Amino acid sequence: MRAQGREVVRVENLVKDFRVGFGIRKRRVLSDVSFSALEGEIFGFVGPNGAGKTTTLKVLMGLIRPTSGSASILGRNVAESEFRDQIGFLPENPYFYPFLTAREILDFYARLSGVDSSLRVRRVDELLNLVHLEHAADMRLKTFSKGMLQRVGVAQALIHDPSVIFLDEPMSGLDPIGRREIREVILALRATGKTVFMNTHILSDVEMICDRVAIIVKGAIRQQGRIADLVGAESREVQIVVAGLSADAAHEIELGQATLISGSGDHVEFRADDKRVQDILRVVLRCGGRVLSLSPLRPSLEEVFMAAVAAAEEDR
Amino acid sequence: MKSLVRIHALASNTFREAIRNKLLYALLGFAIVMIGAGALLATLSYVEVEEILQDMGMAAIRLFSAGIAIFVGVGLIHDEVERRTIFTILSKPVSRSEFLIGKWAGLTFTVWLQLVLMALAFVLVSFLAGAPLSIDHAIAIGLLGLELMVLVAIATLFSCFTTPMLASFYTFGLWLIGHLSRDLYLLGQQSDHASVSRLAGALYSVLPDFEVFNKTLEAVHGLPIHGYEVGFATLYAVGYTGAILILSAAIFSRRDLK
Repeated sequence: MRAQGREVVRVENLVKDFRVGFGIRKRRVLSDVSFSALEGEIFGFVGPNGAGKTTTLKVLMGLIRPTSGSASILGRNVAESEFRDQIGFLPENPYFYPFLTAREILDFYARLSGVDSSLRVRRVDELLNLVHLEHAADMRLKTFSKGMLQRVGVAQALIHDPSVIFLDEPMSGLDPIGRREIREVILALRATGKTVFMNTHILSDVEMICDRVAIIVKGAIRQQGRIADLVGAESREVQIVVAGLSADAAHEIELGQATLISGSGDHVEFRADDKRVQDILRVVLRCGGRVLSLSPLRPSLEEVFMAAVAAAEEDR
Repeated sequence: MKSLVRIHALASNTFREAIRNKLLYALLGFAIVMIGAGALLATLSYVEVEEILQDMGMAAIRLFSAGIAIFVGVGLIHDEVERRTIFTILSKPVSRSEFLIGKWAGLTFTVWLQLVLMALAFVLVSFLAGAPLSIDHAIAIGLLGLELMVLVAIATLFSCFTTPMLASFYTFGLWLIGHLSRDLYLLGQQSDHASVSRLAGALYSVLPDFEVFNKTLEAVHGLPIHGYEVGFATLYAVGYTGAILILSAAIFSRRDLK
């Protein structure tokens, strides 16, 4: 278990209404959103498109003012700007001044972030190396691909060595190699004690690297907690794969309240209540079978996510 | 100090962006052609040839530099929001006020630079035509620079909350009114109705008075430009620009950047 400390990001009862139709009507996009991210963890903020992920992140970045509720980062109200030298932000599909080179744009952001002039050149080179853009350092950004711009976005978010990093769809536009590299960067950030807050709808990335998640659907938090707790909470069944089992032996196991899923002979797959495992294994061994695998059947994060979406639909 | 570094970074970036705007070069080119055309027009007259040439030149400088200030200025904030470049900037320790001031300063510097280029063209044409040049011409150009500083602030204000199209209408309208506001005020004071006088006075105190910066007549016709006029114009420009930027910051700080 990773040691985690204080609350770094805290959102309480956040509500956001947007005015629509010439400001006459209002549309609620966030309703009573509360969650917190802890120091040193990778926090996944997960939801389908239009769920309110980016709006929440914009509130945290001070780009949008909440209708009610509060949001703080490192104990500071998000409406303030002075403490932002401690946070980094990668927006979704970042866009940069096309007439600047990668080196120039990073130098620009370093100046805005208050990086000392004596360190700027070295820091820019470090970040270009980190995101593997050293070969394109002096190329204008208008010639960059989407994936390269995404890397520039990651580099600018880290240029001032912030302690909390907010990433909105960081894998967007990246090929599999790029995605792995960004995952490695995120894991390396956690290893150095940084907190990473990641907006995404790519659940495989979340399952792979996040410590905790909050699932937001239709502007409301539906689930939150450690991934292991979310996917493991309902684990009561096991999957047993056996080889060398006769049809009679398989039938005997079925009678013992296991469900035969598929196969015969060299590959027989059962599903059973975890309390029946000992009995089943005894039968398998007595009948000369070999156990190939035994694994708990947990719902995947995708199933948890889909259940949250379905619950939101029902509530509507 | 850190604030100044950030404003300088934003201003220099705005300058780099603005000088890539093709509209700026089109207007600058037209202005220089118009300044040169003044020499041709002046040949149609038998009297005051140099004055006509310089009147034409100064008018072209005023018109086209105002055009550049308006048409580049109205997209100043709007474009940053539309292109979402503002998101990464405001995620740094940059306040919205610093952002506005940086953008305004960068464009003001750009407009001043093109003003210098137009002034050089004006000096060249005057020199070739044998028209007299004095320090008063430089003062008149300098005062126009102050007018442009105010105009960029007004364009920045409208750019904070409306589209470039509407912002250009509003800014151009205010520029025109600003050159007439003193006349409107004087007209109002001659009214028999006290309410009309008061309304004219109230409007004059809110609307810009760009005639404060217009010393073309004095420069071209050799009339004196007093030090106190220049001093007042400078204070007026600083005060009015400051007020407009404060108002812009108040509006912009309340805006949701969706």
